[in-house]
Amino acid sequence: MFDLEKEIKKWKKSLQKHEVFEDGLIADVEFLLRDAYEDQRQAGLPEEAAFRQAVSLVGTAESIAAEYNKNRLVMLNRRSPLRPGRFMPALIWNYIKTALRSIRRQKGYSFINISGLAIGLAACMLIVLWVVDEWSFDRFNINAGQIYRVYYDESAKRESSTSVLTPPPMAAALKRDFPEVIKATRFGWWRKPLVTYKDKSFNEPGYRNADPDFFDIFSFPLVKGDPETVFSNPYSVVLTEKTAAKYFGQEDPIGKILTVNNTFDVIVTGIIRNESLNSSLEFDLLSPFEIILKEFIGEEHRENWGFNSFATFVMLEPSASAENLNQKLTGYLKKYDDEDTNKLVLQPLTDIHLFSNLGHDLSNRGDIKYVWIFSVLAVLVLLIACVNFMNLTTARSANRAKEVGLRKVVGANRPQLIRQFFGESVLMALFALVIALFLLEFLLPLFNTLSGKQLTSAWLNNPALLLGFIGLALLTGIFSGSYPALFLSSFQSVRILKGTMSSSGANPLFRKVLVIFQFSLSVFLIIGTLIISRQLSYIRNIDLGFNREHIIHLSIHGELHGKYGAIRERFLQNPDVLHVTASMTLPVDIQGSPGTPEWEGKPPDAKMEIKADFVDYDYIETFEISLVEGRSFSREYATDPETAFIVNEEAVRRMGLEKPVVGKRFGFWDIDGQIIGVMKDAHFQSLRQKIDPLVFKMFPPWLRRMYVKFRSDNVSGTLASLEKTWKEMNLGYPFEYRFLDEDFHDLYSSEERLEKIFKSFAALAVFIACLGLFGLASFIAEQRTKEIGIRKVLGSSTAGIVALLNREFLKWIAAATLIAWPIAYFTMHAWIQKFAYRADIEIWVFLLSAAIGLGVAMLTVSLQTLRAARANPADSLKQE
Amino acid sequence: MISKTLMAASTRPIILAILSRGEDYGYNIIQKVKDISGGHLEWTYGMLYPVLQRMEMDDLIASKWKLSGKSRPRRYYTITGKGRKELASELISWRNIWQALTRLAKPIPAED
Repeated sequence: MFDLEKEIKKWKKSLQKHEVFEDGLIADVEFLLRDAYEDQRQAGLPEEAAFRQAVSLVGTAESIAAEYNKNRLVMLNRRSPLRPGRFMPALIWNYIKTALRSIRRQKGYSFINISGLAIGLAACMLIVLWVVDEWSFDRFNINAGQIYRVYYDESAKRESSTSVLTPPPMAAALKRDFPEVIKATRFGWWRKPLVTYKDKSFNEPGYRNADPDFFDIFSFPLVKGDPETVFSNPYSVVLTEKTAAKYFGQEDPIGKILTVNNTFDVIVTGIIRNESLNSSLEFDLLSPFEIILKEFIGEEHRENWGFNSFATFVMLEPSASAENLNQKLTGYLKKYDDEDTNKLVLQPLTDIHLFSNLGHDLSNRGDIKYVWIFSVLAVLVLLIACVNFMNLTTARSANRAKEVGLRKVVGANRPQLIRQFFGESVLMALFALVIALFLLEFLLPLFNTLSGKQLTSAWLNNPALLLGFIGLALLTGIFSGSYPALFLSSFQSVRILKGTMSSSGANPLFRKVLVIFQFSLSVFLIIGTLIISRQLSYIRNIDLGFNREHIIHLSIHGELHGKYGAIRERFLQNPDVLHVTASMTLPVDIQGSPGTPEWEGKPPDAKMEIKADFVDYDYIETFEISLVEGRSFSREYATDPETAFIVNEEAVRRMGLEKPVVGKRFGFWDIDGQIIGVMKDAHFQSLRQKIDPLVFKMFPPWLRRMYVKFRSDNVSGTLASLEKTWKEMNLGYPFEYRFLDEDFHDLYSSEERLEKIFKSFAALAVFIACLGLFGLASFIAEQRTKEIGIRKVLGSSTAGIVALLNREFLKWIAAATLIAWPIAYFTMHAWIQKFAYRADIEIWVFLLSAAIGLGVAMLTVSLQTLRAARANPADSLKQE
Repeated sequence: MISKTLMAASTRPIILAILSRGEDYGYNIIQKVKDISGGHLEWTYGMLYPVLQRMEMDDLIASKWKLSGKSRPRRYYTITGKGRKELASELISWRNIWQALTRLAKPIPAED
């Protein structure tokens, strides 16, 4: 029996197989079929035949579905009327609220994120302040772009040899011979003069001399005096405010008379304010250059092109090109000296501070290398902080997943979510910025001792700098937010809302890579610190071959030089004084050389550059230099001051002399003498250099430094009594001394600074990385609370659980260490090569770095895991 | 026999023309087309509804459910303002085609 309804139901089912047939559409087609069926029945067909006919008239399910499908595609291609606007201001408040809520709800993580970023930002900001300061050197000069220093390039004669010291006539000659040179000045000094005003007298190492053009070229602000006329009188002097206060206190200094070296007077004509200026040219007192010619070196040197002792600065026309002038300067010196093949080169004033490494250069130079090292370290620390942020945010992403799902369901698209999360990370970074600005205030004094600078919080009244800091914070926010934003916004709402998303958050591999990156950096910095301090302690403790302990030295210039003998006698009367001697240069860094000496049996073509110092009796004894052969200079031999030489073993080796060396003929310049002693090789130079051939010769007129060696048991008492003796002798010079040991340490001050910097940055890096690790450990412990509970119930011990949780971190840190080792090895190996005498890079340094890295990391992680392992399993298991 | 392409091209103007005379429902539209064309235009019933849906999406027609006399709900379609405009422009197009075609189909006059 044919059942129409049943057949229709069956037919409808065949339609339902096709997705496009929504219920309404099926009803449409069903009524069509019924109409067709009724028509067929009226036409006289029996029930079943009428139904078949109607079905064939309506068409197959496939063909109808295909038609509907076309419509659906058209529909999908059209803009959905529900599409949200690009920017919905109404949501901003919601975003801020959500961000603040998630910061508040996860106080611990937010603290770690924000404080890490704050420390990183503060470190970066310090470096920015420092770099800005380094770059600002000499740029206060209005004409900085037109000012050049002239230097000699002697590479034609000797390899890579340059000198900034030029002769007195050069400045005027350049101005005369080249129209583009509009101003020129000499700048220099001659010994350290003694300056006296009434009862006050000081040695003035900062006394400089320059030509009147100086004030047109440079922009040192004159507080008193007229730049046009301050130098009209050759016997005038311009003081800095500080120096003026030192001599005259509150009195008006203008017109006052100062006495120099107790021989001539100068009148104060101007006061300069230079305390806050970053200038390569430093001075406390400035007098016309004429004084040097008239009072010190003699007028005969006015046109002496060989008297290379002063710097020359020129200012070019604004339109002139330094390159053109440099070309014209090639061969220029021949005009004044036929044999002078040296090249003259112009060096921009603004290059002097950071990019100059010329012979006899100014002392307060910076080093572009340090700018780089500082900058890279700061960026690394900030990177570690950013990594913390990425890691913790993505690890905890499961907490935000529902929010993401819901936002997507109600119409948020991915770009909107990305913007939301970027907004959050930027907000965090701005919080961090505020904290960092406070930190900066706190860290500045510390940093100043590290960097040897006097930086102040200049950002307060420097809008550009403040904007820069804000920019830095924004960049940090965007960078650290990039991965979390992309990651969180990629969640599929279906999976989140169905609950099929894993709660472990981001791709754990990526997180591991980030942690490994952090710890590689930390371990690298630890190794760097260890190797630098080892090298420094090696330098401090190496047996130099002479004794530098308990020795002070005093300058014996000017009139003091003539009184040296008398001072010596008086000092030696003091029972605590062991020796008194003198020499030309400090024994910690003897660099002077008379060129190639002559010796007995010298092959005609032999060349050997020898370093030399001129010394007094008792020199060998004072510094406890051991002699391998012969004797020291002695008063018993009348010829010693004239013809005696003491050489070191290296010189003997290089000269190829056979034993006995003593008695062999030796000499340089036109002194013909003999070797009276051979001393053991000792480090009279920086340990960056190999021990060079060295010779000591007596030469009383050239003694410039006096050394006093005394007993170690009563240092301050001895010094006080020496000072008393000094004053009693009424020498007219202040008692100014320095310990030789200080000078020795000064040789390595740049390495010591590097060590301190590495130490602080390593500490910062390890600290921030541990902050992140702490957060990550607590996250993982929290995630595995149930597992830990079950393990405990089943009998696991606290120690066992801690070990279980720590194992994973241990693996990461071990991987990080393995990565850091080779990088650190190659970097530090390259650094240590600049020392001729160096501590070996030993394996234990690497092992220790690993131990420190692992130790600190495990301590951090264990703080968390221990808490998780100790928790009562009942608490974690009773929920749900 | 009318080609498939021509059939497809004419469907929409014919439906609009029918609905311009008053509201109607699916099955009746098919029957009217059949009658008016003297049986030359015979549509597959099932194809009508997708076309109607598409025309509704394009705002040419509108529909609503109504109970007919036979106590069965039917979807009645009406032409919209946009549909009328579309019909007018379609008529012009078809007339132009028809004119061109008939002129060309006349016997070619012999050359002088």
